[in-house]
Amino acid sequence: MDTDPIVELENVVAGYGAMTILNGTSFRIARGAITTVIGPNGAGKSTVFKTIFGLLRPRSGSIRVDGRDATKWSQRELLAAGVCYIPQGRNIFPELSVRHNIELGAVAAGPELKDMPARLEAALDRFPALRRKADRQASTLSGGEQKQLEIVRGLLLDPKLILIDEPSIGLSPLMVQETFTLLTQWRDKGASILMIEQNARSALQMSDYGLVLELGQTRMHDKAQAILNDPQVAQLFLGGVIGGAGAV
Amino acid sequence: MANFVALLIAGLATGALYALVAVGFTLLWQTSQTINFAQGEFVMLPAFFMLAAMHAGLPFWAAILVGLALSVAILGFAFKRLLVDPMLRHGVLPLAIATMALSTFLKESVKTFYSAEASPFPSIAPDAYLHLFGLSVSWQNIVVLGVAIAAVVALQFLLQRTRTGRQMQAAAQNPTVARILGVPVERMILYTFLINGALVALASLLISPIYLAKFSNGDTLGLAAFIAAIVGGFNQIRGAIVGGLLLGIVDNLSAAYISTQYRGAIPLCLLIVIILFRPNGLLGRAEERTV
Repeated sequence: MDTDPIVELENVVAGYGAMTILNGTSFRIARGAITTVIGPNGAGKSTVFKTIFGLLRPRSGSIRVDGRDATKWSQRELLAAGVCYIPQGRNIFPELSVRHNIELGAVAAGPELKDMPARLEAALDRFPALRRKADRQASTLSGGEQKQLEIVRGLLLDPKLILIDEPSIGLSPLMVQETFTLLTQWRDKGASILMIEQNARSALQMSDYGLVLELGQTRMHDKAQAILNDPQVAQLFLGGVIGGAGAV
Repeated sequence: MANFVALLIAGLATGALYALVAVGFTLLWQTSQTINFAQGEFVMLPAFFMLAAMHAGLPFWAAILVGLALSVAILGFAFKRLLVDPMLRHGVLPLAIATMALSTFLKESVKTFYSAEASPFPSIAPDAYLHLFGLSVSWQNIVVLGVAIAAVVALQFLLQRTRTGRQMQAAAQNPTVARILGVPVERMILYTFLINGALVALASLLISPIYLAKFSNGDTLGLAAFIAAIVGGFNQIRGAIVGGLLLGIVDNLSAAYISTQYRGAIPLCLLIVIILFRPNGLLGRAEERTV
């Protein structure tokens, strides 16, 4: 649906051991937009992210990032190409300070990155809670603050493509709103965002596109509003109510 | 009282040695889940590298460097590539058992190919006593303590204050996330093995003049390092240091005031008491992290 996609999967087959999760997954993700991936448990949402990010190698098929074949890229190559991946759950280094945790977001750029201190300060400015606790161990942060840390760490190198898996889990409604706002701002600056979100309705409301994944295949890929209004999708994934109203 | 202080200093010196070995032990566990039951033999062996180099005609200082280099290459690099990497694919337990086999192999090899007798080993410290405030402390103890402290401080500096050190910590604390951020996790793990190779060589250099170089030296040392690491919490470098020092002091004081006969038993009693009351060790934290 896009002639110049930021990421493109073509007939990707991948899985764990004998289990195949992605059964020939194909899609093209629009540049400079937020796309939310929805689908039932086991549809392969997180697996798609792991496969794009090289943590799981596809058995067949190809992945293109920014027009280049990225099927066999290492994490460092992906990071160098401007891709960042913020996985589900808590992904901090508990015994390092908050500041050092964030700094590790720039590892891929190497020591040549001269404006690292400025970037770090800007990241801390964005979240006052992180600034207050900058020199404390990251394990002292609350669950929501830890997620904020992961997000600013992921954004430290100004990624072109952000893969973010379930950012709202365990966050207060206010923090969810802050996180969505931050992602929208990033999109407005030109980044492309591919997001998995259990809070499907709210996520689609702030998204440009929606992608429905089922049994490891693209079932539907359309404007987010069209997905929200689709009666079948509404019934299967959005709690049965058609349209945008009401929080889930 | 003066006697007590002298014993305390001797205990600290022994403890600092245990700490060096326990720190290396803990590092390997933290980064690669390697429980190295050959750690004691790793301390025994470099002394023989150095002795062999001296037999080949090198002066003592050059032999130390050769021993250090061989230790890093063999007990660090080759150990990781030839034993840890292939075995770890099968799990933590097979690897632990393989290190037990390695421990026997190293011990018997030295016995067969070098000597079953204890060989005298030169000391880097002068054979004299320092008299201060009515105390007489052997230079041996002072040098051991000084070198061990310097090594631990240097290691802490590396881990805490340098980018590479923090990447090593990141690789230890959460390898998956470290990889996602582009940390070369494999290389960081290799670094910890090289560091362990250097630490055991240093410990070997410091301890061999005291106990003489003997194939069976690793038995007590390995056990001491293991106990020190567990007492300290197993997953903490600071813990390994505290555990090592505590063990050294208890070891020396109990030998002087209780009985040398029970010298071997007292560290084990200490271990049991600490595990009973603090199952995670003195400074340890639970391995499963809470959110």
